[in-house]
Order: sequence, then C-alpha cells, then structure tokens
Amino acid sequence: MPDGVRLSPSARRASRSGEPRSLGRFAHLAYGVLGAVLVLGLWQAAAASGRFGSGLPSVLETLSALAGLLGTAAFWSELGATIGIAAIGLAVSSVIGVVFGVLAGRFPLVRSATLAVTEFLKPIPPIVVLPLAVMIWGPTQQMAIFLVIVGCALAIAIQTIAGVEDVDPVALSTARSYGIGTAESLWRIVLPSSLPFIGTAMRIAAPASLVVTVVAGLLGGSPGLGRSIYLAQSAGEVANMYALVVVLGVLGVAAQGISSAAERRLLHWHPSFRKTGS
Amino acid sequence: MSTLGTRTGTTSPRPGELLLKVDGLAKSYTSKGKRTDIIGNLTFSVNAGEVVCLVGPSGVGKTTLLKCLAGLHPSTGGEMSIDGRRIYSPPPEMALVFQDYSRSLMPWLTVEKNLRLPLRHLRLPQSEVRTRILDALAAVGLSHAAKQYPWELSGGMQQRVAIARALAYRPEILIMDEPFASVDAQTRFDLEDLVLKIRDDYGMTVLLVTHDIDEAVYLSDRIVAIGLRPAVVLEELTVDLPLPRNQLDTRALPRFAELRNHTLSLIQHASAKPTPSAMEDAVPGAAGAPA
Repeated sequence: MPDGVRLSPSARRASRSGEPRSLGRFAHLAYGVLGAVLVLGLWQAAAASGRFGSGLPSVLETLSALAGLLGTAAFWSELGATIGIAAIGLAVSSVIGVVFGVLAGRFPLVRSATLAVTEFLKPIPPIVVLPLAVMIWGPTQQMAIFLVIVGCALAIAIQTIAGVEDVDPVALSTARSYGIGTAESLWRIVLPSSLPFIGTAMRIAAPASLVVTVVAGLLGGSPGLGRSIYLAQSAGEVANMYALVVVLGVLGVAAQGISSAAERRLLHWHPSFRKTGS
Repeated sequence: MSTLGTRTGTTSPRPGELLLKVDGLAKSYTSKGKRTDIIGNLTFSVNAGEVVCLVGPSGVGKTTLLKCLAGLHPSTGGEMSIDGRRIYSPPPEMALVFQDYSRSLMPWLTVEKNLRLPLRHLRLPQSEVRTRILDALAAVGLSHAAKQYPWELSGGMQQRVAIARALAYRPEILIMDEPFASVDAQTRFDLEDLVLKIRDDYGMTVLLVTHDIDEAVYLSDRIVAIGLRPAVVLEELTVDLPLPRNQLDTRALPRFAELRNHTLSLIQHASAKPTPSAMEDAVPGAAGAPA
C-alpha cells in the first residue's frame, strides 16, 4: 500500500466539496452504470473474438460459474476465512499503528529510537516477508494475519504520527492549564485530534488488508479466496477463477464502503464531514 | 453567593485580600547561544475580587507573561504565587481563557462535554459535575446550547462556552488572554459586560490581557501598563470610574477619556523608546518581535 500518504484534512475538504457538485446525483449514478456496462461489453467482445482462447471466459460463463460457487459450502468458508484474516490483521494493525504512532508522535525519544527501524521497514512490501512467514507458520491463518500486519501497521503508524504532529498546541495548552495529565491528554485530546489522519489511513488500509490476505493465500497457501484462486487455476477451472476475482472486487468495494461510512460517523464533527455551519 | 462561587474547602482570600503576586518575574530565551530577554523585572499583584487588565503594545510579551503565570512556561527569574503558594505548574486555582476559542474548544465534543473535560480528573460526584455545568452555562446564557457542537455556534457564543468551561472549573482567578480580539465590535461589548457580570455575581477575580486600551479602561478596577523590551511595568493606575458600568454612559464620561488618553500616551511613549540594553541587541529588520 502507498506509504506516507499525508493528506491534510484541509486538502481533503477541498477535493470533497469540488467533486460531487459538478454532476447531479442521478447523472452521477447513470454515468457510473454506463461505465461499468461499457467495460463488461469490452470483456464480452474480447472473449467472443476468441483471441485469448480458454484464458478468457465470457461474462456469462463467469457469472454462471459465480452462481455455482455461491451454492457451495466451501466457497462460503473460504470467503469467511478471507474476511476473518483481513479483519483480524487490520484490527491488530490499527492497535499497533495507533498506539505506536501516538507515542512516537508525542515523545521525541520514542521517535528517535524507532526512526531508523521504521524507515528501513517502510519500503519493504509484505510479499518479501512471505517466504519467511511461511517457514515459521506454514500455510496457515496466523501466517496470513502476520503478513497483513506487516503490510498495514506501519502505514497506519506513519499517518498517526502525522496526525499527532498536527494537534493544535492551543488545545494542548488548554488541557495542561486545566491540570489534565499526560495520559488523559493523549486519550482525550491527542487521539481524537489525530482521528482525521487515522481515518484516511484506515480507508486505505482496509482494502490493502484484503489484497495482502489474497496474496498470502495465492502464493503462501493460507486459507481463503487467494488459495481458491490458485486451486481453480491449477485445476484449469478458468471461469471459477474469474468468478472468484469478481467476488474479491465486490469485497474490496464493500471494505472501502464500510471504512468510509465508519469514518464519516466517527468524524462527523470534522470540517470535511460537517452538515451544518461553516 | 451562588453555587458558582470559588472552590470550597480551601481558605481562599476574602475580597480585597492579596490573591496573585508576581514579584520580579523575568523570562528570557536562549537560541543559538544568543539570549533574548522578553520580560525584564515585572512586579504586580491582583487582589481577590478585582478585575485587572494588563495592557501593552503588541509584541511586548503579554502572552509570554501569561504563560509563565499559568505555569505553562518556566520563568527564568522572580517569583509568582497564588494564595501564598508558589506557581511551578498550572495551579488549580486558575482557569485560562484563550483568544482563539475555535482552537481551545474541542470540535469533537459537544458544549456540555467541553465543559466536562477539565472536571473529569477532579473526580467529583456526578451530581456536582452536572450542577457545575448547568450553572456555568446559565451564567453565560447558553443553557440551550448544551447539546450543540462549538462549531455550530457563532464566534461570540464559542467564547462564552470557553468562559463557561473556565467557570465550571471553579477557579479563584480567571485569566484571559486577549479574549475578545477575534469577535466583532458588538459581540465584544456583550462579552465585556459578561465579564463584569461574572465578577459582580460570583465575586470572580479576573486578570485580562488586552492591547485594546478602551477595553482595559472599561473593564478594570486597576490597569497594569507594561512596555519596553525587556518588558517592565510602566505604571499601575486605579480606574476610578463608577460602578456598575455600561457601554454607553461609562464610555461617555470625561474621566474615561482622561484615563484612556493617559494610558495610551504611556504605551505610545514606551513603544517609541526601547530600553538601552534592547538598543544594543537590536538587529536591523528585526522589528515587530514575537509576542
């Protein structure tokens, strides 16, 4: 996932207010459907041309394979495994990322002591760690969860640090002048102040956790849809493979939607989400 | 006295007795081996029940002074005490109201929860917390806004919330740093009268920093004019305008104009003439030193 995304809340506000007003709600939806239909049409045409042989099933074949999959218990258990791994990995990543980010952002000592290590780890993608993780845990759920944490925790931490650095000094002075202690100030001032940054990180990390889970299954053999895709491919069940990819796409959209909704709810007070006033 | 009075259980000074004492306060910064003296040797005091305004030109170090006084910055010389106890860290007898209400109120908390924020660590009974919050909101005329968020309110109302938060903390002294510099003129008058009302109704002691001399004369029992660099007390003057004051009549008094002109000339004189040591330190182009 892209590291060091530092979208300032004000930059986001600008992009948000600039985007949906250009089209009406209905037109926005209609064009969206049109775009999707166009892509499906292209896919169908490409499959019908026969250029790709059996490597590209038609839209209809894929959809009927999908319908078949939905009727099997194995599919649902693999789907459950994927969601479980991604969710647990993401939850652990957020706890690690936010706790570490708040401490590193607030205490220069923690920051200095960990800077070399985090800078070193930043450019290492989780896939590089995969062979090591498979050696330790084998093709298991733990291995996949570990990879998700490797892929997400640091990025969440980096955004959290940016958020903590963005905390208003006047808010901190206010807390201190009222005798509010360090721990309470971290919990009640610093953490909520940093939430807009953490929210951005989570919105990016949620789909990323799915991607890593699938990679872990595809290349590392851990349970989940990634492994199903690998098995479908080696069995030559191309339509099933495509159907699984479609499911992943839907899952990604859902993850994005849920994290956006959670962000909107949690940050209803933030200028980019406020419904009233200026 | 109403339930909004000063904190119970302590032996707080009676009206007219010494509450806050600043004796020879000095503050300097050292950066890149060069020492900058912001505050020279500042001595003044505030008695219980008084409204005292600190006035001085911009950049004289008024905010620095308040931060030292509030225990937020360490001073580099002199002593400060409240109720006879020396100030090293933010004293519980003090509540601060900042100029920038939008930054000192937490946007993720409702008005009510903003008021509750500084009370949590006091571990008071819930009923007491509720009473304090309701009383404080009533005192600033915002009982109806308890469930709203600060950003849903106008600037003047937000500053009232900040004042209510300070009142709910039940300090012995309210310290205000240019509290009305970010609101329009009419709101400013309303908030000035609110300060006087709080003093009258609850016997609150107020130390207010402002660069607005008219405001200082209107509000004060006493004005402490500070100036020069490093900052010293230029003069302390008693404001002998009759009480209660009101925006129309008080400001129309000849005595108001006299006090205003006297204070203004003090400050203009002081800003035109740096102290000899400051002249030596002066760097070309370094005018308009930080506040």
